[in-house]
Amino acid sequence: MGKRARRKRIHQQAVWPKLTRREEREQVLLFWEERFGIPKETFDPYLLLSTAKNYWLFIQPPDLQPLQSLRVQTVGLLFTRRVSRWLKPTSTALQRFGHLASKNIVELSPLELDRLRREKKIPYTSDLTEGYVILRCEGKIWGCGLYTSGKLISYLP
Amino acid sequence: MLDLVKAPAYFARYRDIIPDFESFLRHLKTSLPLYFRLNDLKCPDPEIVLKGLTRQGAKVEPVSQLPNFYRVEPRNFPLGNTEEYYLGYIYPMTLNSALPVIALDPQPGELILDMCAAPGSKTTQIAQMTKDRAIIVANDRRLDRLTALVANLKRLGVACALTTLYRGEEFPFGLNFDKILVDAPCSGEGRYREGYEGELMYQKERRTNLPALQKGLLIRAFDLVRVGGVVVYSTCTINPDENECVVDYLLRKRQGRLIPCTYPQPHHEGVTEWEGRLLHPDLKHTARFFPHETNSVGFFVAKIERMI
Repeated sequence: MGKRARRKRIHQQAVWPKLTRREEREQVLLFWEERFGIPKETFDPYLLLSTAKNYWLFIQPPDLQPLQSLRVQTVGLLFTRRVSRWLKPTSTALQRFGHLASKNIVELSPLELDRLRREKKIPYTSDLTEGYVILRCEGKIWGCGLYTSGKLISYLP
Repeated sequence: MLDLVKAPAYFARYRDIIPDFESFLRHLKTSLPLYFRLNDLKCPDPEIVLKGLTRQGAKVEPVSQLPNFYRVEPRNFPLGNTEEYYLGYIYPMTLNSALPVIALDPQPGELILDMCAAPGSKTTQIAQMTKDRAIIVANDRRLDRLTALVANLKRLGVACALTTLYRGEEFPFGLNFDKILVDAPCSGEGRYREGYEGELMYQKERRTNLPALQKGLLIRAFDLVRVGGVVVYSTCTINPDENECVVDYLLRKRQGRLIPCTYPQPHHEGVTEWEGRLLHPDLKHTARFFPHETNSVGFFVAKIERMI
């Protein structure tokens, strides 16, 4: 199957995501700060918008209202998902902001990364706290993984 | 498809406006160099990319006149199959296609409309030049092309853009854009060369009245930009009917002023006369980039300020 055919089609009539409340924004950004050590202030220039289970990062315009008159297809960058009662960072956002992280980074060799991408789950032991991790290989941030019960699970697209 | 042997006859009408016409014809038989733009939004350390590509057999050299641009050898190196591409560290593009955004000179905080944005080379370039701090409305009229644009925005990690699906000439009023880029659909003569004989749109869409479409887009863009704002109009074609004549039409219908620009590539003034018709004298402030002089795709760029 070619690259073009694999692209997910976007909705023709997508609607504006809504602006998150301050407490909800704090909760999401605190998760990034506590889990990965990325300061909340990193995201000060951005609005946090939300749809049903997704949070989107979009630059803070001087006035959002006129932009909301547009019939949009997508707004900003998919940042975080709500999975059950957990917050999960997207690989897209980790690839963009992950170089600012100071903790919960899993350094993989090219062979380990290759195996993880193929098998989706590999045995892995570490003194990291269980939860979502940043997958890094030779300085390149690949995205999101989950470290739990001696296993490393890939959430790479 | 225009066969290469028929190219001299096809391009003969431009003999007077293409400098060193014979050299131009010879150049059509050569392949284009391969370039990419390094996406420093995602890749703070260029060495990661340069080392990665070098390890895969590519020779990579920075382009002195254009920051973040690199030239790759061999020319057929499959950049699109590399992990650097997959991770959004690079965007393969020709040098001259960077010029319209250089003319636009986007700044953080500006509200910018990219009217014909797909597949996103210029939208992502604007995002990169403004450090992801402009507010970009990236529009395209075709859903399939918009899908490619959305994929590229995601791949390059751009958070300052939203996408819309309007016909450019019907883009709604209500926003005071600071700057608008109209990289208009065109006949693509500047892309034509050996191996790319199918790039001429006139062969594919015989009945499309491109100048009428381009005039509609440019007029709408001008009406959407704020007074004192800037519209950049660009095409990758040589045909003055799609370039200077379109801008001439705008200058006759609206109060605009052409702004001269400095470019990092050799170029010529726009024409002020075409097939016996006198055009606005200020069209000399537009720029023509020819393939054989720039070793890239032929381009036309006009920067216009809205006066009233």
